[in-house]
Amino acid sequence: MAKKLMKGCEAIGEAAIHAGCRLFFGYPITPQNEIPEYMSARLPQVGGTFVQAESEVAASNMLYGAAGAGCRVFTSSSSPGISLMQEGLSYIAAAELPVVVVNIMRGGPGLGGILPSQSDYFQATKGGGHGDYRLLVLAPSTVQEAADLVIDAFDLADEYRNPVMILGDGLIGQMMEPVEFKKEIKPEDLPEKPWATTGRAGRQQNIINSLYLDPEQLEAHNWDLHRKYQRMAKEVRYEAFNTDGGCDVLIVAYGTVARITKTAIDMAREKGLKIGLFRPITLYPYPTEALVQTAEGAKSVLVSELSTGQMVEDVRAAIAGRRPVGFYGRVGGMVMGPDELVEQAEKLVAVHV
Amino acid sequence: MPSVIIDKDRCKGCELCVYACPEDVLAMSDEINAKGYFVPIVAHPENCTGCRYCLLVCPDVAIQVENKGKVTKPPESLTGKPFSYCPGCTHGVIHRLIAEVMDELGIQERTVGIAPVGCSVLAYEFFACDMQEASHGRAMAVATGIKRGRPDLTVFTYQGDGDLASIGMAETVHAANRGEKITVIFVNNAIYGMTGGQMAPTTLPGQVASTCPTGRDVTLTGYPIRVVELLKSLRTPAYLARVTVTDPKNVLAAKKAIRKAFKYQLEGTCFSLVEVLSTCPIGWGETPHDACGWLQENMVPYYPLGEVKVPEEATVQAGS
Repeated sequence: MAKKLMKGCEAIGEAAIHAGCRLFFGYPITPQNEIPEYMSARLPQVGGTFVQAESEVAASNMLYGAAGAGCRVFTSSSSPGISLMQEGLSYIAAAELPVVVVNIMRGGPGLGGILPSQSDYFQATKGGGHGDYRLLVLAPSTVQEAADLVIDAFDLADEYRNPVMILGDGLIGQMMEPVEFKKEIKPEDLPEKPWATTGRAGRQQNIINSLYLDPEQLEAHNWDLHRKYQRMAKEVRYEAFNTDGGCDVLIVAYGTVARITKTAIDMAREKGLKIGLFRPITLYPYPTEALVQTAEGAKSVLVSELSTGQMVEDVRAAIAGRRPVGFYGRVGGMVMGPDELVEQAEKLVAVHV
Repeated sequence: MPSVIIDKDRCKGCELCVYACPEDVLAMSDEINAKGYFVPIVAHPENCTGCRYCLLVCPDVAIQVENKGKVTKPPESLTGKPFSYCPGCTHGVIHRLIAEVMDELGIQERTVGIAPVGCSVLAYEFFACDMQEASHGRAMAVATGIKRGRPDLTVFTYQGDGDLASIGMAETVHAANRGEKITVIFVNNAIYGMTGGQMAPTTLPGQVASTCPTGRDVTLTGYPIRVVELLKSLRTPAYLARVTVTDPKNVLAAKKAIRKAFKYQLEGTCFSLVEVLSTCPIGWGETPHDACGWLQENMVPYYPLGEVKVPEEATVQAGS
């Protein structure tokens, strides 16, 4: 298929259709309205169904029902809306249902703003709602990667029977780039889900549930989930860029900030400073081992995020004092320029190298 | 001669069958069953006419009736697991009616039921069809997800007043307004049973509950919400009815409404909701029999019974 110039949000919607998804439930919120808009136009063309829910709370529970009935289903929202979906996500994770959720992050807390942010990292990677659970979290840094990851997200969700979140920011959602859809899955070719509530003809009753009144059973269920999250560790994805032969400063960044870092790398090179980039693509599971190995070749580490410092906690835990770890964040919808990253890298070098 | 067969192990000694029998066939005994309840006995078998009133009001599917060589059977759409409801609570009657309707329509193998949060949170253990357990108030959103994804399935929700009319009011109004082709069984007992008798959105004015210990003060809490009347105001076609299950005649009327509600879904006609006025003997502090009387005396005047809206009206209203 030829490349097509598309907005990130639209590419995400089209990717879901290429993944064989024919169901969307969602509620409008900026800066991701193009996803529900796109789905509302596109799904009827392919025999699918779009429902504008009355709220994100309802949308997340519609997802629960549809996923429980064995359907590929997804929703999208932005930070405040994702907070409202946490009820459904906790139940979905508990009942082990495969769904895909797109969060095009905007600045918070509260109503915050509508400009790009990465301040939902904690919420996305540490559970988000009540109870011990995790989402599998994928963070694209280009429109093409967003489309690819959305298609993979559906397969990962089915494989692990777990919610998968695409964690993007307003820039990924709003910018246009050429994109190509590399595969197309027909809904009828998707494997059967024998556990789903599809009517009990010819089998025993299926129940989708998250209630375990017996504490021993609930404990066993929690450990089962925990073991599943541990199995997910093999799904780690990351990109190490300009790190061969070591570097002065290893910038750890994901999504939009990782793109900016690539420009900073070029700018620093002219100054004789070597910056490397470690870009986690899976934020959960976190590519801890690969980060540690990559950082061994770096003199210092700089974590940069569109937050006041969230992923940096995971990086510091991974590096465990073996390298100095600096942090640089912009928030509220403000985005750093590559020059700021170079300046921060230079400061780090001056202090620690 | 017809005869009444009592499954003493299932019985919770609520006495509703004894009161329902018009011929004094049944009487309470001194016998205590394994659960610790006094059970009824067939004291005057010779009086039995086979009317099945005892079976109709029994909340625990503990009674079957033999007549002309035929014995009634529990509905196949129930798993047979004893209900977890309090003695005399009419949830069990409503469960049985839904299961009977599923049996009669032959839809058990294509039906998905949604259990709520509340007294009937374990409904998925009692209905034999596929089931999903929803979070509090979201049963209709879950049902929407299933029905939109799999329109070939028959989807029903089973919800109490706190679930449907308080925390889930937005989901209720919007599922009805979208005209989701689902069937909702709304059990209104004017109180929060499971959490210990707190005020519900349907608690009557002056009614005592654990969070309105001096009686519901409408100047502070507003008036009880009449759900079917509220939903009637929506222009989207719907089947909306209110019934109760306090006595054999009403049980039969309730079943008729529930059957109709499922049929409208099967025909793809409209959203359907049947509000069933139900008793909470424990929460109300009444005996099961007195609770039925209390319901008739206090709830029915405020929540009138009958069909409130039928989809056929839509054609009449279309121009309005």
